[in-house]
Amino acid sequence: MSCEIPFGPQHPALEEPINFMFKIEEERVIDVKPRLGYVHRGIEKIAESRNYQQLVYLSERICGICSFAHTLCYSQAVEELLGLEVPERAKFIRTILAEMERIQNHYLWLGLTAKEMGFETLFMYAWRDRETIIEMLDMISGKRVNYGVNTIGGVRRDIAESMIERIERSLEHLEKRAEYYTKVCTKDPSILKRTVGVGILRPREARALCAVGPTARASGIARDVRADEPYAAYGEIPFKVVTYRGCDVASRMYVRIDEIKESIRIIRYALKNMPEGPIRVKVPTRVPEGEAISRVEAPRGENLHFLKSNGTDKPERWKIRAPTLANLPSLCRMLIGVNLADVPVVIAGIDPCIACAERVALIDVKTKKREIWDGKDLWRYANEWYRRKYGF
Amino acid sequence: MRRSELRRQLRIRARNIIVKRERRFTVNIEVKSLKKIVRRLMRMNNYTHLSTITALEAGSEIEVIYHFAFTDALVSIKVRTSKDEPLLPSIVDLIPGAALYEREVHDLFGVKFEGNPDLSPLLLPDDWPEGVYPLRKWWSAERILAKLGGRR
Repeated sequence: MSCEIPFGPQHPALEEPINFMFKIEEERVIDVKPRLGYVHRGIEKIAESRNYQQLVYLSERICGICSFAHTLCYSQAVEELLGLEVPERAKFIRTILAEMERIQNHYLWLGLTAKEMGFETLFMYAWRDRETIIEMLDMISGKRVNYGVNTIGGVRRDIAESMIERIERSLEHLEKRAEYYTKVCTKDPSILKRTVGVGILRPREARALCAVGPTARASGIARDVRADEPYAAYGEIPFKVVTYRGCDVASRMYVRIDEIKESIRIIRYALKNMPEGPIRVKVPTRVPEGEAISRVEAPRGENLHFLKSNGTDKPERWKIRAPTLANLPSLCRMLIGVNLADVPVVIAGIDPCIACAERVALIDVKTKKREIWDGKDLWRYANEWYRRKYGF
Repeated sequence: MRRSELRRQLRIRARNIIVKRERRFTVNIEVKSLKKIVRRLMRMNNYTHLSTITALEAGSEIEVIYHFAFTDALVSIKVRTSKDEPLLPSIVDLIPGAALYEREVHDLFGVKFEGNPDLSPLLLPDDWPEGVYPLRKWWSAERILAKLGGRR
């Protein structure tokens, strides 16, 4: 029996709601087609009628979770066109905030993936710890999300001496917690059963499909913009690119947990070695004609902004490529061959959440019977399936 | 990466390679040599992946830029095609990861990619009117709205 299952489109975690058309045989996925565009906001079109300063705010709102990575990427592109050198201290502050955002994103991801597995305690734990880092971001920027710190020519908020002590205390707590999660995720049998060997993406496939970020690194490919093309202060900070060779959801989990630890080390080093000085420079409103490409390693992977200016105060063309689009072909490859029950975990594997897979319609090809499932039904089905099979 | 190395490996004229700054190379090529050049690029050392494909309007033509990432550089391959009947060879057979990028350019600029097995809408709605390419400058927001009959 082979069926077709439309999956989605309500799916906010993938930055856009997305629809997957699954073809399944028995319980295995044999083909999958993605469909985007349910929240295509036309940001690239809007950009043609806004000036460069306004676009800083627009870029902040491309993504709710990695907003800092987008503003950083955009600001860098404009700074390159202006031929501007950002003050050293601003570069360090950018690095610190980018890494804090990574920690925040990875804890969010860990919690959501745990929830997909039906491991609600871990979900609660991870999100409680995420609060710690969000409070620090709130302390520095005044906001919990969309920090509004980046601007063309530097940053708008400084990190004061009194903040450093508080940040260090919270980092200590987060590091302890990250150790704990390593222990849980490598030992707990229910996590291992749900993730090891699930959603395989071989290195050769990851290369051919141009995977980026933790998805590529979990397939053993050391692809990281921070190392390949150091921006902000990454050139001056020693860190290692975390890779795992498991090629499955478990590896994607370990990569992210290790990256949390690595980010903590980067923040510590940056706080200690942050130079004194100004945090921003004045910039002209008109940008000379030219083209610039800026790349940033967002929590989910490589972020690319292409900017073409025409000598006015508005850009000619601003192209944004967020990491999720780059990882979609890889996700489709991972999904082929997996069990229907594993679909939520595999989708969560490249990006936080499938909790809002609102409606799943199951069509039996033979009887043309159609059942509509919402996200809850699929979630219940997945967890029941594993309970029956393994008795937990 | 050095300019001389890029020139030697791609076997093209030096004047077609523009060095914008450290780590940034732009290579202007003809449409007919696109696949040949992509194949040579992929064989080079330090090649990692195709980052994305950007399209933009350049006078009466559409410029399509392929951003290739290397561990030590970013090489942008530029080709131009006419605006009236934009057609390019697809590179999906060389780089399967290019499929969605080509579809995106097809949606928003109307560039056809010969050899891409699936150019169905990726970003635009299924009932989007034919011939409306939202990122072309002629299609201002007002014109698009008028074409859609005032619905948003």
